[in-house]
Amino acid sequence: MWDVILQAGSAILLDPSTLALMAIGVIAGLLTGAIPGFTIAMGVVLTLPFTFGMSPIQGIATMIGVFVGGLSGGLMSGMLTGIPGTPSSVATTFDGFPMARNGKPGLALGLGVWSSFFGGIISAILLVALAPQLAALGLEFGPWDYFSLILFSLTITASLSGKALLKGLIAGVLGLLFATAGEDPINGMARFDFGWDPLLQGFAFLPVLIGLFAFSQLLTDIEDSDRARRPLLEKSMSAARIEHKQAIKMIFARWRNLIRSSLIGVFTGILPAAGSSISNILAYDQAKKAAPDDKTFGTGDPDGIIAPETANNATAGGSLITMMALGIPGDVVTAVMIGALMIHDIVPGPSFITDEPVLAYGVFIAFFLAHFMMVGTQALTLRLFLFATRSPMYILAAIILAYCSIGVFSLHNIQFDMWVMLGFGLVGYTLRKLGFPLAPMILGVVLGQIAELNLSRALSISDDMTLFLTRPWSLFFLILAVFSFSFPWYQEAIKSGRRWSTYFMPLAIICLSGPVLLMEGYIRPAIGVIMVLTSIFMAWRSWKQVQINIEEQQT
Amino acid sequence: MNRAKQDVLVAALLLLFCGVMIWASYDIRDLGYPGLKPETWPRFLLILLSGLSALYFIRSLKETAISTEVSSSEIKSNGWKKYQNATWCFVLFFLFLASLDYIGMLLGGILFVFALLTALGERTIRNTVLHAVVAIISVGVMWLIFSYALRVNLPEGNLLSIW
Repeated sequence: MWDVILQAGSAILLDPSTLALMAIGVIAGLLTGAIPGFTIAMGVVLTLPFTFGMSPIQGIATMIGVFVGGLSGGLMSGMLTGIPGTPSSVATTFDGFPMARNGKPGLALGLGVWSSFFGGIISAILLVALAPQLAALGLEFGPWDYFSLILFSLTITASLSGKALLKGLIAGVLGLLFATAGEDPINGMARFDFGWDPLLQGFAFLPVLIGLFAFSQLLTDIEDSDRARRPLLEKSMSAARIEHKQAIKMIFARWRNLIRSSLIGVFTGILPAAGSSISNILAYDQAKKAAPDDKTFGTGDPDGIIAPETANNATAGGSLITMMALGIPGDVVTAVMIGALMIHDIVPGPSFITDEPVLAYGVFIAFFLAHFMMVGTQALTLRLFLFATRSPMYILAAIILAYCSIGVFSLHNIQFDMWVMLGFGLVGYTLRKLGFPLAPMILGVVLGQIAELNLSRALSISDDMTLFLTRPWSLFFLILAVFSFSFPWYQEAIKSGRRWSTYFMPLAIICLSGPVLLMEGYIRPAIGVIMVLTSIFMAWRSWKQVQINIEEQQT
Repeated sequence: MNRAKQDVLVAALLLLFCGVMIWASYDIRDLGYPGLKPETWPRFLLILLSGLSALYFIRSLKETAISTEVSSSEIKSNGWKKYQNATWCFVLFFLFLASLDYIGMLLGGILFVFALLTALGERTIRNTVLHAVVAIISVGVMWLIFSYALRVNLPEGNLLSIW
C-alpha cells in the first residue's frame, strides 16, 4: 500500500507540471466561484478540454483544484458585496456581509477561508477512511443492486427539484434517452441514427455537457442587455487584508460548530445529487439552533460564517466518496469528473480503488493539497477577482463561448461535436426557461449507459425479474427510491400539518430494515433490529404527540 | 402565453417527440442474441417518458383552466426583447459553425466574437475598437494555446489554406 501512496504522491508532489496545473486550477476555481453568475460546475466543465492532453492523474488533480477553489471562491463576493458568488455560499452572506460592513472585512474573509480549509481537511480524512470501506461494500453489489442504486440516484435528484418533481423526472428520463443514441453498448447495433453517419457515434459527453450547462448558463446571464453591459459588480470594493491568526483562534474556539458542520457537509455530499448548495444552508440552520443566543445571527456572528463555509467544502469530500467508491456522482461536479475519467477509459465503480490504486490515492492527495493551495492563493485571487469584476458580462460570455467551441472541437477533432454543443445549448436554454431542472438530465446522460449495461448483465445472468426485489441491496435501494420520490409530498405535508407526515420517517426506517435483516452475517441483521426498534419508538412518540395535540384542541 | 399554456404546449411536443422516437425504435435491428435486446431499454425509457409527459399534459391542462390570462400586449412588449441576446448568440454561433470550413477557426472565431460583442454591447466607435481588440487577442491566444501547447489541429478553412 505504501508503494502505491508513494507512487501517487510522487506523481503529484514531485511533478512540477502537475503542481502548476493544480495551482492554476485552484486560482481559476476561486475566480469562477467568486464571479456571480458563474458556477463551480461550469468552471469544472470548462476545464475538461484542457485535460484531454494530460495524464488521468494530472487531469483529475486539476479538476479537483477547480472544485476546491470554486467552493471557497464564492465567499469573496458574498462577503464584500452581499451577492453570493455561487449557490454554495448563499448562507455565508447572511453573516459575512454584515461583519465586513461593520468594519471587519479581513476577519470575515479569514473566517471564511480557514473554515473552508478545516472543513475540507476533515472531509479529506473521512474520504481516505470511508471511500475504501464503502468500495469494499460496493464490491458485494451485483448488476441488480447497481441498477437499483442508479435508479435511486435519479429519483433523489428529481425529488430535490422540489415543486418541479415531474419536470425533474422528465429531465432525468430525457438524459437517459439521449445516452441511448448511437451504437448500443452491448451488441453495437445502431440506434436513432436516422441513417445519418455522424449520429452513429452517439452524442459525446463533453459537447452535451457544455451545451446543457455552460452554453445555456451564459445565455441566461446575458438576457438583460442593460445588466450584461454593466461591470459585473458595481459596488466599490477594496482588497482587504485577510486576518489569519485571529480567524484560526476563533474557529478553534468554536470547534463544535466546525465538527458538526463538517459532518453535515460530508453526509450531504455522500447522498447522490445533494450538493453544497443544500449543505451550507443546513449547516447554518443547525449552527443557529445550537447557539445559546441566536439573535446575533444575521448581524455578523462568526458561527454564521464558520458553519456554511465548513459545510460546503466538506461536501466535496463526501461527493468524492460516493464517486470513488460506487461510481455514482455526488453532484454535477463529480458527474463531470466521471465523464473526464471515462474519456481516459477509466470507469469509476466499486473496483476503482483496487483497479486504479495510484489514481485513487492521487485523488486523495490532490484533495488535501488543493486546500493548502486554496489558502495560499486567496490573497492573490482577491486582487484578480477585483480586476475581473470590472469587465461586463457580455464580454466574458462572448470569449467563453468561443473557448467552448474550440474546447469541444479538440475532443475528437470533428465539427459534429460543435453542432451537438449548439443543439444541446438550445435544449438546455429552452428547458431552463421552462423551469426544468438540468441536474437530473446531466446525471441521466452520465449514468444512462452504466444503467443499461447493468440491466443487460442482470438479464444475461438470469431473466428472473424478481431478483430486483429479492436481493437485499437491490430492494434496499428500490425502497430508498420510493421514499425519496415521495419526499416532496412529505415536505408539503409537514408544512400543511398533515397527520400522516409524522409517520413518514418511522415507516421509511421500518421498510428499510427489511432488506437489512435479510443481509448475511450478524452485524447487518443486528443493525436491522435496531432500525425496527427505532422506527417503533419514533412511531410511538409521533402517536403520543398527535394524542396530546388532539387533547389540547379539545380543551 | 402564460406558464400553464406554455406547459400544455411543451407537454404536447414531448408526446409528439415520444411518438416519433417510438416509431424510430422499430428501425433498431435485433440480432437475436440472448439478454437485453438493443431496442428494449430505449423503448422502456420512451414509454416511461410518454407516461410522464401525459401526466404533465393533464396537469398543465388543469392549471390552464384555473389560471388567469396575461394580457397579450404585455407579452409583446417583453417577449422578444427578453430573448433578443440569446437569439443573437444562437444565430451568430450557427453562422460561425456553417462558415468554419471556409474561413477556419482562427478567422471565424475572431469574427464570431467581434460580431457577438458588437451585437450585445453598445454600438459606439470606442466600443467597436475595443471589441475588435478583445476578439483578436482572446481568440488569438486560445488558438495559439490549442494549436501549439495542446497540439490540436484546429480547422484552417479553405480560404486560409490557399495561402
